[in-house]
Amino acid sequence: MAAAGDHFAVLGLTARHDLPRDEVETAYLARAQVWHPDKVAPGETAARRQAMEASAALNEAYRVVRDPISRLEYIVKTQGIDLDSSDENTGAPSPSQAFLIDMIERRDDLEQAKASGGSKAASFRDAVEDSHDEAVDAAIAAVAGGDTPAAAQWLVQRRYWQRLLDEIDA
Amino acid sequence: MGNADTDIHDTGALFQIEEPASARKVPLTPGRAIGIDLGTTHSLVAVAPNGADPRTVADGEGRCLLPSVVSYVEDPPTVGWAARTAQLEAPSRVLSSVKRFMGRGTGDVDFSHPYTLVPPAEGAADIVRIDVGGDKVVTPMEVSARILEVLAARAEQELGEPPTGAVITVPAYFDEAQRQATKDAGRIAGLEVYRLLAEPTAAALAYGLDRGGQGLFAVYDLGGGTFDISILRLRDGVFQVLATGGDSALGGDDFDRAVAQLLLEKAGLVEPTPLQREQARVAARDAKEALSDKDSVEVPLPDGATITLSRETLEATIGPVAERTVAPCRQALKDAGVRAKELDGVVLVGGSTRTPLVRQLVESTFRQPPLADIDPDRVVAYGAAIQADVLSGSARDGVTLLDVAPLSLGLETMGGIVETIIPRNAAIPIAARQVFTNYSEQQTGMMVHVLQGERELADDCRSLAKFDLKGIPQLPPSMARIEITFELDADALLTVTARELMTGVRQTVQVKPTYGLSDEEVDRLVIESLDSAEDDFTRRNLAEARVELGRVVLAVGAALWDADQRPGLLEDAERASIDTAMQSAQVVMAPDGPTDHKLVVAAREHLESVSEGFARRRMERALLAGMEGMSVTEVSDTLAADEDLDDRRGGHGPEQVSKG
Repeated sequence: MAAAGDHFAVLGLTARHDLPRDEVETAYLARAQVWHPDKVAPGETAARRQAMEASAALNEAYRVVRDPISRLEYIVKTQGIDLDSSDENTGAPSPSQAFLIDMIERRDDLEQAKASGGSKAASFRDAVEDSHDEAVDAAIAAVAGGDTPAAAQWLVQRRYWQRLLDEIDA
Repeated sequence: MGNADTDIHDTGALFQIEEPASARKVPLTPGRAIGIDLGTTHSLVAVAPNGADPRTVADGEGRCLLPSVVSYVEDPPTVGWAARTAQLEAPSRVLSSVKRFMGRGTGDVDFSHPYTLVPPAEGAADIVRIDVGGDKVVTPMEVSARILEVLAARAEQELGEPPTGAVITVPAYFDEAQRQATKDAGRIAGLEVYRLLAEPTAAALAYGLDRGGQGLFAVYDLGGGTFDISILRLRDGVFQVLATGGDSALGGDDFDRAVAQLLLEKAGLVEPTPLQREQARVAARDAKEALSDKDSVEVPLPDGATITLSRETLEATIGPVAERTVAPCRQALKDAGVRAKELDGVVLVGGSTRTPLVRQLVESTFRQPPLADIDPDRVVAYGAAIQADVLSGSARDGVTLLDVAPLSLGLETMGGIVETIIPRNAAIPIAARQVFTNYSEQQTGMMVHVLQGERELADDCRSLAKFDLKGIPQLPPSMARIEITFELDADALLTVTARELMTGVRQTVQVKPTYGLSDEEVDRLVIESLDSAEDDFTRRNLAEARVELGRVVLAVGAALWDADQRPGLLEDAERASIDTAMQSAQVVMAPDGPTDHKLVVAAREHLESVSEGFARRRMERALLAGMEGMSVTEVSDTLAADEDLDDRRGGHGPEQVSKG
């Protein structure tokens, strides 16, 4: 099975943050046809096992690379910062004090917007969405400029915005 | 989980790790695989051998649909139409819609049913077990196996040989326990299950090949007891499920129940008996079906009166139930990232989509009239048969079917929170890994709790498996490394592999769901089923042989009586040997006669051989007598007609016997 560092290689793609969606789909579908366990006869246990592992690696690669956000996070991970880890050196960086204070204020606003409802709630959501998109754009720029720590910082902030959006929609 | 420091508990219990049973190696026989739609209310079998168009296989009376009903009033149980007729008299012993119980524990049964469930034994897995009377308790898997056996036998008749493998369809929304239960049912029925195929995927397969193009499709499948919605894409020879959703306890049966409730209210029956309830349900179902074409219909009430039910009233009654399908449709579109108007087609599956109200609802939800070119009752079986043919190794050009995980798979972490490790709608097969470590040097074990579902709290999700891992080497805190891999195969069935990274030892455990049968139980049921198949076979052979012998005894007896009226036809010595053979035949035919069918066959063959000359002479004489005054052509026609009749009798006699 391909190692966890190879999602782009499994798909036969070069590691880029700006892969066109269509390119990912075409690469995935071509490989999915070849590696699917259904292509191996039911009795061929060992060969089916292999096909199963190859397919599993392919599907995991597809899941990570297809979505632009998880792709960015994955690129940052291959460059040494794992956002899913709490390790001091290689894990997700802590957001700045200023950012956390901003988040606390926004959460207060959320309660008020929810209480008043209507257009106020809608414009609050729009503002959060804008902040989310700004964080994504900044992360893309940092990845393009080779500044992995900055990209990680923006991606951490994006996660906070995403959580807030999910709460608004809930 | 993953955060090593938070979630390891020393439980001290043993983690049973075993090598998975190696799959039997079965030689492939192209064209002999079958597709089975194991439905809540009806089941079907279809074949599409060696690239042929799919066709459903009918029973002896031309009926393709087999009611998914098993009656335990008789032993062995009866299946299908015959079982359904017994439903009114013995509602608790005649099992229908058993699919609703598949992979479920007694605690999950929150819908009404007329059966007697047996509470699980202390400490045993909580599996629904139904007391069907006569000291017999059955699981839903065994009941489903009886249905599968009938369908497989039907297919065998059609193919001329036993099927080598089967593709069985399941609702896309079925969780791991329900899929495992279905696969177990296949094994109990003695079938090699090549693949569990999601019903909507099967339907799209049937349609997609017909159209041969590219496109985005929604499949709206409202069956008797389940509702599924799937968004699929066909592109570059790959059928890809983009998203799936639904409700595994919502279907046409709920329409019937809502209407039955209305009927009981109209009849003023506040506390109906089980029989009255069942009568109302049958009347409701008939009324619903009739109202698909008519505007109003007369409905008999359980109290003997009759009321007129209009389509308007029907729709007002079932409307709230039908509306429950809309939210999952919207969610599936959202999950797939597809807008309704981008769809190239909406496919209808399931008998309940014949209801006009449902079609209107589909049209308004997806903003286009749905497709229904293929019989919605058969389209799933067609797709299953096509895929079965592909998997049997035939030369058919198959599209590749990519399914998705129907529900998120997660692990319980500290505080009962679920951490998702494989998200819903991820393409399968797929694997996810988690590395665990120890929190102290004393810790040598840990508990892993695998859950399926979308809720945040473990208590709200379905518990798939709980196991304890023991034998972690004693190492300083956070130094041990135990990697656990969770793998969903192409059928969305889970395998867990644990690898101790310090030693590199790798072991695998096939996770059996909390609500499933253990491997041992399945094996026992398979053996029981084989035993009783053997038993049934022996009994049938004996019955057939006895009937054959009886026929010969009757014929010879009549001929002897005839000979008594015409002296000279039979010599004394010949007469004596025939009489002796007749006497032994009578002994064999007696109720306490031999049970080995070979002895019965031998008695018949002996009687036939000693009476052969006598029979031939009688025939010749009759022929000569009959031919007086006939032309040569007429004689040969008569002979041909007689032979023909004999052939047909010879060919069909035993079959009819076995049915009786």
